[in-house]
Amino acid sequence: MSTVEELDNEIVNIRAQIANLQAHRSNLGSILLSSPQLSTRLEQRSASNDRQRRNASKVVKKQSDRNAENVYRACAGVTAYKVKDPDPNAVDDGNILGVRIEVSVEGRFIDTYHVLFNRPHPRHKTVLKIHKHTVPPCIAIRPLANRFLPMSQKDATTATEQDLLKFGRSLRKEIVAWHLRTAAVERLRQNAGLPDKATRAAEEQRKHPVGQVLNNFVSDGEEDSDEEERRRTRLGPVKIVAIDCDMSVSEIQVTWSDGRSATMKVMKDGRIERGVFRTKEGVRILDMSKRAIGRLEGLVERIRAS
Amino acid sequence: MAPHASITAPDYRNIPHSHRLPSSNREVQRLFGKLSRSSLLSLAQQWLTKKNRDFCRPYLFSDQANDAGEETAAYEAAHSCEELIEIYKDMESRRGGRAEVRDRILEGDWRHGISMYQLATAEIQQLLDHPNALRWTAKRLAKIPNTKGASRDMEVTSESEHLPRFHAQTVMANLAKELTPLMKAHYLLTRLKTMPLTILRVYVHDSPYSSEASLASSNQSTDAAKAVYFIWPNGSPFVWISLATHLGQIVGEEARTLRDTVVSAIPKAFSRSNSRYQLVSTTFTTRKLGAMLVMRGSGKTNAAGGGWSIFADNSFSQNTLDFITTAKADALEKGKAAADNEDTMSGSKQGPGQLKRALEGPEASQADHRKRVAAGRFGSSAKPNDGRGLERFEVRIDDPFPTNVQQGGEAMDEDNARPSSRRGRKGRPSLLDRSEQEREELDNADNWCPDVRITFSGSHVFAGIRQLVEEGVVDGEKMPGWMTGEAGVTTGAVKNGRIRTKGSVPGV
Repeated sequence: MSTVEELDNEIVNIRAQIANLQAHRSNLGSILLSSPQLSTRLEQRSASNDRQRRNASKVVKKQSDRNAENVYRACAGVTAYKVKDPDPNAVDDGNILGVRIEVSVEGRFIDTYHVLFNRPHPRHKTVLKIHKHTVPPCIAIRPLANRFLPMSQKDATTATEQDLLKFGRSLRKEIVAWHLRTAAVERLRQNAGLPDKATRAAEEQRKHPVGQVLNNFVSDGEEDSDEEERRRTRLGPVKIVAIDCDMSVSEIQVTWSDGRSATMKVMKDGRIERGVFRTKEGVRILDMSKRAIGRLEGLVERIRAS
Repeated sequence: MAPHASITAPDYRNIPHSHRLPSSNREVQRLFGKLSRSSLLSLAQQWLTKKNRDFCRPYLFSDQANDAGEETAAYEAAHSCEELIEIYKDMESRRGGRAEVRDRILEGDWRHGISMYQLATAEIQQLLDHPNALRWTAKRLAKIPNTKGASRDMEVTSESEHLPRFHAQTVMANLAKELTPLMKAHYLLTRLKTMPLTILRVYVHDSPYSSEASLASSNQSTDAAKAVYFIWPNGSPFVWISLATHLGQIVGEEARTLRDTVVSAIPKAFSRSNSRYQLVSTTFTTRKLGAMLVMRGSGKTNAAGGGWSIFADNSFSQNTLDFITTAKADALEKGKAAADNEDTMSGSKQGPGQLKRALEGPEASQADHRKRVAAGRFGSSAKPNDGRGLERFEVRIDDPFPTNVQQGGEAMDEDNARPSSRRGRKGRPSLLDRSEQEREELDNADNWCPDVRITFSGSHVFAGIRQLVEEGVVDGEKMPGWMTGEAGVTTGAVKNGRIRTKGSVPGV
């Protein structure tokens, strides 16, 4: 048996090694293709096979295009591109203007959002309408579109000036602010010593297979069914047991092991505007509510210092 | 009907969690007959936790002492909940059939009845085990425009909310306030951790009494659906509604009316003074919860269906710091553009490939071409086993009948040739399709617009169309966009070859 396991382990190791080396190889490949002299060298040298040289310069061209695109995207944050709608009945021959919004949090680009516009009015060629988009519903894209893009049909009289730049800018602001808030709450959880997302989800799944029931008021507070866990919370120092927030991070809830709980309202820019702190009996804790007001970051420290 | 010792009078209370239905109740029997062994075991353990004991008290030894003179039962009553937890843990660790667990629950530990809480959690467990069992309709909670504050709606400020505020307890209390005068109901609201969803189950009890006896006695009519489900995807304006029915169950008029009453109470429960909500149809109905999550969920994919899915799953553009162009996954990258300029694509990618294809003959290259066209039209959507299939898709064609049929097949780019691109399809007039805007059709009487309705049905409609494109049955390049499912609706009207859309922004 042991030999089978050993072999399996070895295979897994080798697979990982192969994947590693392949990544390294493609990395080296793109570095080589990005070298500035390469294209001129390819032109100068007389290659035996002209076809191969064409292919080589195509690959080089592709790499340099990619480099330029990535640099633009990384630096500008909002970039535009053109695509074609494959629908044969698409308006305006399927010409689509895409706007791409990059989100970088903590030094990495974590997500990209697209808004695709078409031109529904054959006479007013500059009027854009959102055709498709990948913005999640918790971002207020519709009010933004109402504000910066003129309505297509009836609102022609109250038509607002179309301002694609402002639209892109404010949409990006909304999206980035949302991601920053999400990241900030995740950091709060780290600060409070709560397990990270994956283990938390697994734990919850074990504890509540049909989800957390929200309207069982009768025996609330007996939250921890595990004997050991209860002992730990009773004896140990009071600590935060959960930090929850809604999808758009406009509200966060904090629960302590001694039954205290708090609900705070978060502004879009990550400020906590107000909060309600209550003891287990439902009595307001005013000084904590006062201390909570401020940036989302450092909330745990502020409310811990009690 | 059933005589009860205590006084039973009409009241204004909800049905509490702890009210019990007898284990012999048909509803209970049916539900527990369907649950799997592992689900039953996990449910039983969950019911026995301290938190839930008030609602799911098992039959213990002390109870046995009270009802004197009872004949010996099949299962010996346990002495404490802890003992029971051990028993169920033990059952979990060994193998066995599900009947063993079911009998122990119904005839042993809960022989005196299954509480409403247990019934509700068990039904939600069943729903999660079989996410394709119910038929869901997506609605949207839309704000009713306020005449006074109309200008404020336009602004997106630091604190403005564009979604209805979902505070579980408040919504629950408001809903109960709306419904209790009309009917008695049991509510269970639960937030899932595995999916971004909040489920509300409303068990409708059509009676003025909320007592246990009236609950037990009223369940004679089994054809009425008892429960209505509402699901809120977190952070979205949608609500999914389903009438909990089992297979083949006929829903009576009465049950429908009750359901409608509950549904109409939902927007009221969300409304506050100065911000009123109403439920707006989103013309989306399916049995698959997976499809609901993708098209009416809280993620990026709502307004990017069909071929546009490549924008949502990041296959259109690489990560900004990904500079590697030599990787194999290149073929996916251009995605959308592939349908239009795949020749230049393949040329830039692999020179030798072209040669090989030429040698294999035109058939292979054509199949390859069709595959790439399908990839361009459908993107990463409409895969056969992605669990997101729609089982029914209906459209009504509002375009004028093509007058010049001769020219149809050849000149596809011209406007009047468009309807002919559909002419080859197998259209089946469906009486089920709704006809709302027939007046409008009469208006443009200069062209003859017959009432043509097309219904696609199957286990996964768009995967089927994709397969037809790949096989060459449907011309992928001339196929109208609504056949790729990019509109994200299950019922729609086609005008000018496009599904009509309401509103300025899709998907919100």
